[in-house]
Amino acid sequence: MVQQGWLVWCGERYEVAGVTGKKKKLLIVGNGMAAGRLLDELIKRDVSGFEVTVIGDERQGSYNRIMLSPVLAGETDVPAIIGKPSSWYRDRGIRFVSGVQVKAVERERKCVLTSEGNRLRYDHLILAVGSRPAKIPAENQQLNNIYSFRTLRDVDRLLNVARFHDRQSRKTDTDALVIGGGLLGLEAAYGLALKGLRVTLVHRSGWLLNRQLDKTAGGYLQRVLEEKNIRFILNDEVARFSGSHELKSAELKSGQSLSCKLCVIATGITPNKELGLAAGLKGARGVAVNPYMATSDEDISAIGECVEFKGETFGLVEPIWQQCITLAERLCNNIKLPFENTPVPTKLKVSGVNLFSAGDFITTDEHRELVYRDDKAGIYRKLLLRDNRIVGAVLFGDARDGQDYFTMLSEKKDVSKIAPFLLMGRAFYQDSDQQQDSDGAVAA
Amino acid sequence: MNMPEKLIASDTVNTTCCYCGVGCGVTAAVADNQVVAVAGNTDHPANKGRLCIKGSSLHETQSSPDRLLTPMLHGKAVSWDTALDYGASKFREIIEQHGPDAVAFYLSGQLLTEDYYVANKLMKGFIGTANIDTNSRLCMASAVVAHKRAFGSDAVPGCYEDLEQTDLLILVGSNTAYAHPVVYQRIAKAKEERPEMKIVVLDPRRTATCEIADIHLPLRPGSDAYFFNGLLSYLADTNALDREFIAAHTNGFEEALAVAQGQVPDVTAAAHLCQLDRNDVVRVYQLFAGNEKVVTVFSQGINQSSSGVDKGNALINCHLATGKIGKVGAAPFSITGQPNAMGGREVGGLANQLAAHMGYDNSDDINRVESFWQAPNMARKEGLKAVDMFRAIDEGKIKAVWIMATNPAVTMPEAGRIRDALQKCELVMVSDCIGNTDTAKLADVVLPATTWSEKHGTVTNSERCISLQKGFLNAPGQARHDWQIMCDFAAKLGFSEHFDYPHQVDIFREHAALSGLDNNHSRGFNISALADIKREDYESFTPIRWPVTTGSPKGTDRLFGNGQFYTPDGRARFIPIQARLPVHEPTAEQVILNTGRIRDQWHTMSRTGTAAKLLGHVDEPYIDIHPHDIERFGLLEGDLAVLANQGQRYFGRVKAARSQRPGEVFVPMHWNGKYAASSCADALVNAVVDPICGQPEFKHSPVRINPFKQAWNGFLVCAEDIQPHCEYWAKITLDGGYKFRLADGEFPATWSDWIKNQFPLIGDWVDVHDSHDQFYRAAGFSDGRLQVVFSAATDKVSAREMRWLEQQLGEEIDSNTRFAILAGIPGAGVEDVGAIVCSCYQVGQNTIAKAIKGGCTSVEALGAKLKCGTNCGSCIPELKALMR
Ligand SMILES: Cc1cc2nc3c(=O)[nH]c(=O)nc-3n(C[C@H](O)[C@H](O)[C@H](O)COP(=O)(O)OP(=O)(O)OC[C@H]3O[C@@H](n4cnc5c(N)ncnc54)[C@H](O)[C@@H]3O)c2cc1C
Ligand code: SF4
Ligand code: SF4
Repeated sequence: MVQQGWLVWCGERYEVAGVTGKKKKLLIVGNGMAAGRLLDELIKRDVSGFEVTVIGDERQGSYNRIMLSPVLAGETDVPAIIGKPSSWYRDRGIRFVSGVQVKAVERERKCVLTSEGNRLRYDHLILAVGSRPAKIPAENQQLNNIYSFRTLRDVDRLLNVARFHDRQSRKTDTDALVIGGGLLGLEAAYGLALKGLRVTLVHRSGWLLNRQLDKTAGGYLQRVLEEKNIRFILNDEVARFSGSHELKSAELKSGQSLSCKLCVIATGITPNKELGLAAGLKGARGVAVNPYMATSDEDISAIGECVEFKGETFGLVEPIWQQCITLAERLCNNIKLPFENTPVPTKLKVSGVNLFSAGDFITTDEHRELVYRDDKAGIYRKLLLRDNRIVGAVLFGDARDGQDYFTMLSEKKDVSKIAPFLLMGRAFYQDSDQQQDSDGAVAA
Repeated sequence: MNMPEKLIASDTVNTTCCYCGVGCGVTAAVADNQVVAVAGNTDHPANKGRLCIKGSSLHETQSSPDRLLTPMLHGKAVSWDTALDYGASKFREIIEQHGPDAVAFYLSGQLLTEDYYVANKLMKGFIGTANIDTNSRLCMASAVVAHKRAFGSDAVPGCYEDLEQTDLLILVGSNTAYAHPVVYQRIAKAKEERPEMKIVVLDPRRTATCEIADIHLPLRPGSDAYFFNGLLSYLADTNALDREFIAAHTNGFEEALAVAQGQVPDVTAAAHLCQLDRNDVVRVYQLFAGNEKVVTVFSQGINQSSSGVDKGNALINCHLATGKIGKVGAAPFSITGQPNAMGGREVGGLANQLAAHMGYDNSDDINRVESFWQAPNMARKEGLKAVDMFRAIDEGKIKAVWIMATNPAVTMPEAGRIRDALQKCELVMVSDCIGNTDTAKLADVVLPATTWSEKHGTVTNSERCISLQKGFLNAPGQARHDWQIMCDFAAKLGFSEHFDYPHQVDIFREHAALSGLDNNHSRGFNISALADIKREDYESFTPIRWPVTTGSPKGTDRLFGNGQFYTPDGRARFIPIQARLPVHEPTAEQVILNTGRIRDQWHTMSRTGTAAKLLGHVDEPYIDIHPHDIERFGLLEGDLAVLANQGQRYFGRVKAARSQRPGEVFVPMHWNGKYAASSCADALVNAVVDPICGQPEFKHSPVRINPFKQAWNGFLVCAEDIQPHCEYWAKITLDGGYKFRLADGEFPATWSDWIKNQFPLIGDWVDVHDSHDQFYRAAGFSDGRLQVVFSAATDKVSAREMRWLEQQLGEEIDSNTRFAILAGIPGAGVEDVGAIVCSCYQVGQNTIAKAIKGGCTSVEALGAKLKCGTNCGSCIPELKALMR
């Protein structure tokens, strides 16, 4: 056990190490998904050389943020998604400071300043502060009943509104307004619709998931979601909200006005880069890291959505897992395993909606495009090829083979021979690969 | 095949197969006005229980979806009265204005003898013209004349037993294995039992029949008469003549020999002229000379030529010169293709015959028939033969034609011109059981006729054997018998009292009586002993070979055994033959086109084309061509090539065939506008005919050949019968629909529109599209059931067909299986059996090849393992070929 206490010096409180003070202090700021995974990776290796502390401003231990959508949709409950309750930290000798925000990093002193005014020292600091919902330029966002969709607290509040919602009342144009037709917005809209709310989704672009899908697949998706009781307004944005305290209505740029009781804004995320950049770390869109997740200060590393790597930021967990492994290897084993930012396929967690997107998704003149369409079954598959290699895949309605395409895309496999069978899935192109030679059938 | 173990007697009837001139007896099991099963009739002399694949599919080919049910006038359904009134008044009008020679009947070897008789009597005795000809003209007109010249009568000397009991069987231009399967089976069995029996095949192609041959002579096309002239010279040189027989029973030998010797003096000359190996020729000549029992079988290969009559006589000369005739196992033997071509010949239903073996060359005959019929308008001269008849139609000289049970728009030479001619003709009447043949489409009046199993009457096969083709099912809709239709028509023309037959037997009796009228052994065809046949005896007609006279009431197996022929002096005639090569010689860019039939298809497919099993064997028009020519003309095996002549094109897949002589190609004659876009072989055939008998030269037309430059190819499988909008397509009948192979020299605007526009009623589509247009696939459904599959590609391998896919047609397909449908493969490793070799048990080439690899080294072993070749046996030659 680590002995701990506080020392007040020159009017400031410092944390003091216990008797086993020889261990290096490893301080992790942020207790989201990246931090949670990093802890797992560290423990898997050898952390006996470290005294580990985690500070997070959310109350709970690390939980699976991804599962907030199913929670909202009522497909799972809160306890099921809390991966690390406080006991988890205790049992592993990890100090867990919850509900506390870090206000500043003081690099010269090698400590951080918390919202409670305390300073915690570190030998090595890890920033895993994630991102926050992006702001929209609309007026009057301070009104009650306008929410984001990022944390357990957001979901709690949304569930609460839904619980007391009067399903019979038709006084407003719509019950809930969701802004943003990306993954998050759609999952929020779906969850609310499942709760029986009339949902209208306003999206700035011409089709849904315009960062992952082409127009056709976006159209298919819209059709399916419309069947699930979601109304869509495309090519439009909210200009202002109105109401006195409570939200009453939203006015769109097109001039249309929609009365509503509740609004969820899910237009994107902004990396929490400020903590690091204010301390003088390099970076622009996020805190810049090298392939080993080190920032411009060798005693500070960063992972997760607050990071900028080769100019790119992150919004999905897959590459973040890789970052955690890279960092754990370096800290525990002193092994340099470079992080590579490989493309990640998109999936949408709406039951009954199967979609998959990876790599390029808009067809250009440089692509050879292969398309499978089954309008009745609502199945659409598109593969984009360049030099006989898959460089993009968009699947809608039946996403089963997504992983295979993704593998071929990653491995840059030459698919010229099996092109006609590709879209039908593995069972067929593997077959055809073999049969092509041995088959005695007539080639017509 | 669901062949019954034993047919239950109470539900069975005996009848004859309607598919070819072998004339097999069939026992059919009937239930609910349907034939449920068929088996060979063990009591019938022609087949003794055997049946070939066509015969054993008789019950499967009956119910055609295209069956014509009502009379049609200009495309509208009308009553019988309306249709016949229209036809009759037009006939009358035309005859009044232009005379009787402005009308014509074109009949078919499909008709029964009674039908023929009525047609012949109506035309020659009452309408007053001999413009009545039949498609048998295309088949055996040469043999008819050869017989008449040599024997004084059109009579085949022997019977099928002779083919089994002979010591040397020479098959000339006759692919018996395909054209006469049961005869082939009988020969094959005889050869197996008596391997010392020698079989020689004379054919430019190495046909399937060669499988049982000891010697195959691939002679130069059309050189058969040189071969037999050479044989005659050889027989004289080697003292192999039967001097006694020649002296006692023949005329004209010396002159015939002199002409033969002048042209083909010896074996060396024969080998040179026929482009054969000299030693082979010697061997065959020796065999002929050295054997008492020799049968020479000849059919279309000889007959369909511009000098077919001469070829027939050249070979008959050799038999006469050695007395090899009229004895067991010794005869020249002409074998016909059509089921009742012989019946037509007996009736005299041809333009250059009169009736019952009487001819226009004899005015006594004309008077005799006139008074027998009490004919008011007796035609006194020959009429126009098939090719001339259609020319006259084209030239507007014939203004009304009635076509019965045949499809000349496909089968006649220059078929394209025939279509044009019919289009121009003032009145075209067609009676057929199927309403949408290429010919019926051009007709003003289409009359629904009965067909096999409904028709009732007699037929005669190639060995002079008359049997009953029994009617035992009710005709559907308003369909009627051809003879009834004609009798009603005759009544409308005012001849009712002479065409008032209560029943077929009444016609038959009149026909029999006429055959015996003043005969006195002057005419071969004589069945006068049957002139008073009882109705019961007719209904259970015992097959019998004519002549049937008081002297030979049980019929006659062999003719001329006593050396008596039907010439005025009773002597057979040698005919001096100046052999000639085919009329048109090919230029450097041309090849010689030879046409013929394939095993499982019969004629123009209107009947057999509907049974999926039959098409599995060879399912697309093709071109057999020697590998050297493939190279010479820049072709590729398996690709499409185009043959062109007189503005017509024949598309076919290139098949390398070492059996083919370089410079010659063979194409099947079955495909027509219903089964392929442009693969009608006969359209390319020059209308060159034998000057004596008018039979066209089907076997020898120089044509151009070029690779087909296709932009894309593919296939289409669909439940509905359509005509794809495509430069090349060939239709293949499946169990639940159709398959089309497609190819086109140009791309459609989009494949997607191309296919969807052709199926406007289908709204549920799934497709795969390639922006580089290297392939496209689509499937269409109604009510979740698969209706259409289309696959197109620019390369040759992408649009691969799988039998599995065809089996899914009409099935309910879940959205998951839709992937498989577009892929064309089940995805879970289901094996493709490959091209069907054994049609009876649907055994495919891949399966057989596997079994052979697995140790099946004989036909018997294969049969034990896979059942292939154990039913009709017609695939055995191919099984043997696969084992090599
Ligand atoms: C509703 C929803 C659904 C999602 N679905 C998917 C999905 O299906 N697939 C997928 O790959 N990704 C999904 N994501 C994204 C995924 O959750 C994020 O990529 C992931 O959580 C990022 O991990 P992180 O640790 O970098 O950030 P976070 O998980 O956001 O963790 C950062 C933590 O740091 C805390 N923090 C921030 N600043 C401070 C500070 N100064 N002091 C102390 N603590 C601080 C934050 O409160 C937060 O708890 C989803 C996200 C949401 C919101
Ligand atoms: S051989 Fe001819 S007659 Fe006999 S079954 Fe076959 S098709 Fe019919
Ligand atoms: S195709 Fe054969 S059976 Fe038919 S008419 Fe010609 S030769 Fe005779």
